[in-house]
Amino acid sequence: MQTFDITKKFGDFTAVDHLNLKIKHEVFGLLGPNGAGKTTLQRMLVTVMIPTEGTATVAGADIVREADKVRERIGVVTQASTLDIELTAMQNMNLYGMYYGIPRAERQEKIKELLKVVGLADRANIRVAGYSGGMKRRLEIVRALVSSPQILFLDEPTTGLDPQARAAVLEYVERIHKDHGITLVITTHYLDEAENLCDRLAIVDHGKIVAEGSPTELKRKISGGDIIEADFLSLPSTALVALQKAEFVLNVKKRDGGLTILVKNGAEAVPKIVSLVDANGGKLRTIALRELTLDDVFLEVTGRSLRE
Amino acid sequence: MKGALAVCLRDIQKFLGQPVLMVSTIVGPFLTLILLGSAFGGAITHAPIAIVQESFGPYSSNFIENLRNLQTCQFGGIDCQNSFQVTDVADLETAQQMLHAGLVKAIVYIPLGFDDALAANSKVIITIILDNTDPLSAAAIGPEISQAGQQLSSLVQTTPADSSSMTFDLEYAYRNVLYIEFMAPGTFVQAIMFVSIIAGGVQLVVDKERGIIEGYLVTPLKKYEIVLGVLLSGVFKALFSAVTVFTLSILIAGVRPMSVFPIPNVGEIVLTMITLFLTALGLIAMMTAYAVRSTSADLYRVTCFPINLILYYTSGAIYPLNGMPVWMQKVSVINPETYAVSALRLLMYKSAGIQAVIGDFTFLAVFTGLMLTLAIVAFRRAI
Repeated sequence: MQTFDITKKFGDFTAVDHLNLKIKHEVFGLLGPNGAGKTTLQRMLVTVMIPTEGTATVAGADIVREADKVRERIGVVTQASTLDIELTAMQNMNLYGMYYGIPRAERQEKIKELLKVVGLADRANIRVAGYSGGMKRRLEIVRALVSSPQILFLDEPTTGLDPQARAAVLEYVERIHKDHGITLVITTHYLDEAENLCDRLAIVDHGKIVAEGSPTELKRKISGGDIIEADFLSLPSTALVALQKAEFVLNVKKRDGGLTILVKNGAEAVPKIVSLVDANGGKLRTIALRELTLDDVFLEVTGRSLRE
Repeated sequence: MKGALAVCLRDIQKFLGQPVLMVSTIVGPFLTLILLGSAFGGAITHAPIAIVQESFGPYSSNFIENLRNLQTCQFGGIDCQNSFQVTDVADLETAQQMLHAGLVKAIVYIPLGFDDALAANSKVIITIILDNTDPLSAAAIGPEISQAGQQLSSLVQTTPADSSSMTFDLEYAYRNVLYIEFMAPGTFVQAIMFVSIIAGGVQLVVDKERGIIEGYLVTPLKKYEIVLGVLLSGVFKALFSAVTVFTLSILIAGVRPMSVFPIPNVGEIVLTMITLFLTALGLIAMMTAYAVRSTSADLYRVTCFPINLILYYTSGAIYPLNGMPVWMQKVSVINPETYAVSALRLLMYKSAGIQAVIGDFTFLAVFTGLMLTLAIVAFRRAI
């Protein structure tokens, strides 16, 4: 899948701005704050919205000129459930298969197999209204697989689920990628999810890609260093200035009750910070070294925390 | 095409999975039929009337006897009961007070010299005073008293009558159709309209809000297949409800269409079904067009209520069109339900055949064509 200067404008507002992206056979994550343009991007890629400018090829077909072909080759799981809760899992899946014109015998076999994959085979003939949130999500995901898509788009697949259900959904998503060899494009709010699940990520902000790469690459690209979280009993301004000026410090950010300090080498920096603060009359409460997370990356490139 | 059938199948499976919704599209119109049909248009029985008798003789006592024995079934009542409950009152003034107090609905005044005049074969007048603040009772009672009088005049005519007297020979072309039968076709159309509103239109608005329609669009389904599927399932559901109300009206409400009784006439039944089908397709398409243009389900529901009222009451379903003010008649001319009700009545109570309903069919077909175009255009634009 590849986009070519894909752009979408709503009046004066540019939601997606000449965006170029290439996704291989992988699990790809799209991250971004609300309103960053990732939903608009995805809606264009799944052919329900026509780009103002530029285009993209999805599963080898052009999203504007060959929308029909694209639709035959992709699966989409939207954030809001589109299951018919009055119907059984079997009926839901069967109808979906019919939309794709899959012959009856093939359809039935495929559905049985897929329901087994997500552990819903024994509940196939129960109305979806009686399912838990996690079960509904799992059903919705495998429903999109009835048509054997090459690419599966998942929009916030675990939003609103409890941790256990979330873990189960993620496990199935991973298995789907491995066993069925399907390219996955996932938008998510959960950074840990993106970090564990995705081979590569793109962070989208203001309609553009601001960072792209594997989770490890992204983290390395930002810093090449470590993060130190320090809390203080007292911190005179002289101590703060001294820290900001110290040659081993890359960046200092204030937060509630303390500082987040980006340094070149964590192990060497900790004792240096302790003595520097001490020399300037400050008093440390705690000091801890931790690894860089995607949230730090996100904060760095967008200036906002995704958790807000 | 297969896609349209899949969309249609989905809607029907959902409909069957919601028995409450299904039943409610039947219960509403059927209750209207039973309640309105039984409450209105029944023959008035045991109407209290006062008789002020100043002349005593064979003619007047015969007339009063006729009044006492008059039966409602002579005027199309379901079972035979006395039309009047007669009270003898001594003088006109007392009778008028009784009328004023609401104790009687009418006064029959037989003046002094009545019997003598009839015996002499000269002109006589019986005065009937009606309480016309109750127009429906007054309208029913007046002719019934005259009926008793006619029986009397036939008696009078045994004496040599003057050659100039004119008599009318009133004949009924068909059996008496009860009011409940008269209004039954309107309730079949109501059933179709209810489905168009709650099962067809609202479901579409809700589907749109829930993103189901967008969900359709990421599949290879074509837009025309989606519209077609939605319309097809709507017609199926509407016919299901209308035919159920039709059957119940025969089984429970005592409606006796000539097309079914005494011998079922396949041709007329087929024409009845065609009428229901055309009506269903037209109304479903109309409400579909309206639903996809609606921005919210709430707004849609609120506005559907008056639309349904206007169409129902101006269709002639419960009262003859000629009895309506001009502005309502104007609405009825462009109201599809008018033509549906008219065709259904012709087929059900006259077995009138295709040539009688061809005009109604033409209107319904044109209306349906128009609404289908509108629905498809609206659907394409909104989605």
